[in-house]
Amino acid sequence: MPLTRNMRKIYLFLISIIIMIQSCQQHSVPKNSKYLSMVGDIAHNPKLDDPNFTLCDEKNTKQYHNLNEEMQYKGEKYALDNIFATQFKTSEEAKDSGMIRIRFIVNCKGQTGRFRLISSGYDYKEKQFNNAITDQLMTITKSLKGWKILTDNRVPKDYYQYLIFKITDGQIKEILP
Amino acid sequence: MRKSTNFIIFWIVFFVQNISTAQNCNVFLYQKDTLQYEACLIAENAYQYYQYSREYQEILDKAIEKCPHFSYAYRNKSTAYLKSGDFITWKYLIDKAVEYDFRENIGYRGWCKFQFFRDYQGAIDDIESLEAVSKGNIGYSAGGQYHLKVAKALCYNQLGDIHKAITIMEEYIADTTLQVSVFDHLHLGVMYLETGEYNKAITQLNLQSTQNDLAENQYYLALCHQKMGNDSFFLQHISKAKEMYLRNQKMVFHYTEPIDRVYLKEIESAMDVQKDDDK
Repeated sequence: MPLTRNMRKIYLFLISIIIMIQSCQQHSVPKNSKYLSMVGDIAHNPKLDDPNFTLCDEKNTKQYHNLNEEMQYKGEKYALDNIFATQFKTSEEAKDSGMIRIRFIVNCKGQTGRFRLISSGYDYKEKQFNNAITDQLMTITKSLKGWKILTDNRVPKDYYQYLIFKITDGQIKEILP
Repeated sequence: MRKSTNFIIFWIVFFVQNISTAQNCNVFLYQKDTLQYEACLIAENAYQYYQYSREYQEILDKAIEKCPHFSYAYRNKSTAYLKSGDFITWKYLIDKAVEYDFRENIGYRGWCKFQFFRDYQGAIDDIESLEAVSKGNIGYSAGGQYHLKVAKALCYNQLGDIHKAITIMEEYIADTTLQVSVFDHLHLGVMYLETGEYNKAITQLNLQSTQNDLAENQYYLALCHQKMGNDSFFLQHISKAKEMYLRNQKMVFHYTEPIDRVYLKEIESAMDVQKDDDK
């Protein structure tokens, strides 16, 4: 039996409601949960973040490895390594060793924002580094302009990216991933 | 014969490792370990969610609540932190997994230290700890591309002990009970290139070509011939390296960049240097 126009409208309405409910279920975080929606999520913090940095789809930010097998930077990691090699200056007072991760978002336009930093010794225990190291790494990371726009089914997506710096005696030994 | 079976076995290992992320809870029942069996049944509900998700983490927390020494839940909780680069939380969780099931997790932890954090000494320590308690094959990396012995050799090489690395690789490749994987000949070839043993390097890189030809393989073959003064072979291989690279026929790893990976700029620079020398 063919559907009447009214029945079609009702079906469409019901399908829309179901999609909306599922969408809310996927992304809302209960108040009593100690977890964010996804591990490593970075919420906008007006005290830290550039107000002009916006996302295309706040609730659907991907991980870089969801959209490509490895990180995507213009000129490849070779170019990125060279930027840090030429711009990072070692300081006599800052001889720390360990690992520093800067995690951030590359939005659908290829712009970056919401930078956050964690650091540890080589024993993986949390540790603060001398500001002469972390401030420089943060400044250079924020200045990087070569992050590629990644797509899912040809639609540009926002995605999380990170860089890990392995630091020995205040010098960058390796950059990951 | 060995070559053809290598790939079949590699893919079987890869397949088995992938499906083995879900645990068979009946194993615990068979062992009469009711607590882990119940925790395992709870953990099974997590697999419908993405491993980064809050739901996934919360379900595994419930499994741990049921059985605080359920190592499997700690290991699976750790994965999202590993992939997002949170080395502090990852290490806390994976250490718990190792503490509660050493044999099952120590090799995996070693591989992750190597792949995600280039913690060469940490990886060696873990893989050698596994070797100390294993009678047979210590197994492959998560993903199956590397035997853990090869990972150990690469770590020694990165720490500067290339001769130890070569010895491990030679013993590994000579052992007919172990399967040569997709990048093994390439890595050994590069090690020989670094020690100036160009003929040995070419032999390994040619073996790599027949098994799994890559832009990297052609690039290092070109370097060997350049060192030996064979300009025409150099040009032949470096051109092929660029061609393959642009076709995306190159080393690719999921999440991180592999050891001995070559970038387009490096291939082009090698070509430019040769052109300058020819002037």
